[in-house]
Amino acid sequence: MSHFFVRTRARSAFLALSFALGVATPLGAQSPADVAVVVHSGVPIDNMTIAELRHIVLGEREYWPASMRVTLLVGAEGSHERAAMLKDICQMTEDQFRQHWIAKMFRADTAVRPRSILTNDEAVNVASQTPGAIAFVDASKVGKNLKVLKIDGKTPGQKGYALN
Amino acid sequence: MNLSRAFYISTCLVAVFLITPHTASAQPAPGDHDDHVAPALDYPSFHMTGFADVNFASQDVSEGARGFTEGQFVLHMASALSPRVSVFGELSFSPRADAGTGTPAATGYNAEVERAIIRFGQSDYLKISFGRYHTPINWWNTAFHHGEWLQTTISRPEMVQFGGRFIPVHFIGGLVEGSVPAGGLNIGYQVGIGNGRGNVISRGGDAGDNNDRPAYLVNVLARPDQAYGLQLGASAYFDRVSLAGRPEYGEQIFTANAVWGHENPELIAEIADVRHEQVGGGTTTSNLAYYAQAAYRLPVPIQLWKPYYRFERINIAATDPIFNTVPKLVGSTIGVRYDITTFAAIKTEVRIRRRDPSLPRANGWFFQVAFTF
Repeated sequence: MSHFFVRTRARSAFLALSFALGVATPLGAQSPADVAVVVHSGVPIDNMTIAELRHIVLGEREYWPASMRVTLLVGAEGSHERAAMLKDICQMTEDQFRQHWIAKMFRADTAVRPRSILTNDEAVNVASQTPGAIAFVDASKVGKNLKVLKIDGKTPGQKGYALN
Repeated sequence: MNLSRAFYISTCLVAVFLITPHTASAQPAPGDHDDHVAPALDYPSFHMTGFADVNFASQDVSEGARGFTEGQFVLHMASALSPRVSVFGELSFSPRADAGTGTPAATGYNAEVERAIIRFGQSDYLKISFGRYHTPINWWNTAFHHGEWLQTTISRPEMVQFGGRFIPVHFIGGLVEGSVPAGGLNIGYQVGIGNGRGNVISRGGDAGDNNDRPAYLVNVLARPDQAYGLQLGASAYFDRVSLAGRPEYGEQIFTANAVWGHENPELIAEIADVRHEQVGGGTTTSNLAYYAQAAYRLPVPIQLWKPYYRFERINIAATDPIFNTVPKLVGSTIGVRYDITTFAAIKTEVRIRRRDPSLPRANGWFFQVAFTF
């Protein structure tokens, strides 16, 4: 009987260790990268506040200075870039964000919804070739043809940067 | 300002739009084009969304339908024609109680063009549009339109009820609108001229104005960055009401609203004062309506539930010449919304209403499934 308890305890310890390794290790290793806010090189802006960014992402601002039309590119549902945008900028859940845009179009505030982008590479490609585009990409994957905006005066990687 | 002058100004503003050089386009500029990347947007970018609802009502004193009813079937269309020009349309199909009667037999549904708008956008500061609108002097009227799924409750406040007479629900004409950052206050404005109430005061003048005095409106709102979710607004509306066989009356409407647009809590309060005065002099009558609504999205794991409460009141002056058949109201609505999915919700509510202190309360229980597709 005692042998049984020893074996059971050993198995429990093994399961607990496996669980700890299986769950904790990936989370610990994945320190999420900062999310860079990138715009087409022709956008006449270098720095934005979170509030200004929120107006863009929620469709309340449709034009850059000089009347340049904003083209909003957002990451696919479930992506880290989209999650950071929702949490740090919109303060909304995924459902609230989708409902916001249905209501936005229904109110005739805008006729164009954000374009959903599947990968960082696609975001970089489309943003670099679309005047007025703004996108959210992994800070380590920003292309050289794009301008990285400062958010509240900070660039990705700096302490206190808002999007991660 | 007379109508011809207003039209002249509007025409000049559109002309300014058309001759202003457009510095940007959502399409790739020549030389930038890469065949591997689809353009961000093709024009026209037609997009359609539908809204519908099914209802059940049980009332001790009948105010409207009882039993199951099909709500409005609504189609909303939006299309960008270019980076600066957009078109919006809203069609509704409403079931008729008299379907199949008369000669020829009445159809099963009334079709209505609720909104048809074309807008030219110069910048966030200046946009010009023409068409048929929901009159932008009331927050609810322009926030939810005919999309029942969008609003937390089943019923609209009675002051903006469709087919109601207190606030002119529709406006046909032109709007100049925009917003400015204003140091984080984010001030928005709308200035409009158009046809006011028609021969039936619950309807706009779709086929033309019934007098030579257009309606004017001004709407101003603020969305301060420091209080994300807060919106404060105020409006003024001026019209002349002409009804067959009656004297003409000037109509002035002043409204104000405050909205906390989050869900924990959601708070909406609006007030409207509608004044009438016979043209050429006479007593001014004042009719006041207001409501306050609170809702709260419950926390995880019951976050799909959202209880709500609304109190509303409509007070009609005894001597008002236009609203003499508009009912008074003191009412409460209490209910709960359950979101089945992101795009469908079940709502149930109890309405307790009194039309006059001398009359008994009208109580009712209501149920609705509302969805978008």
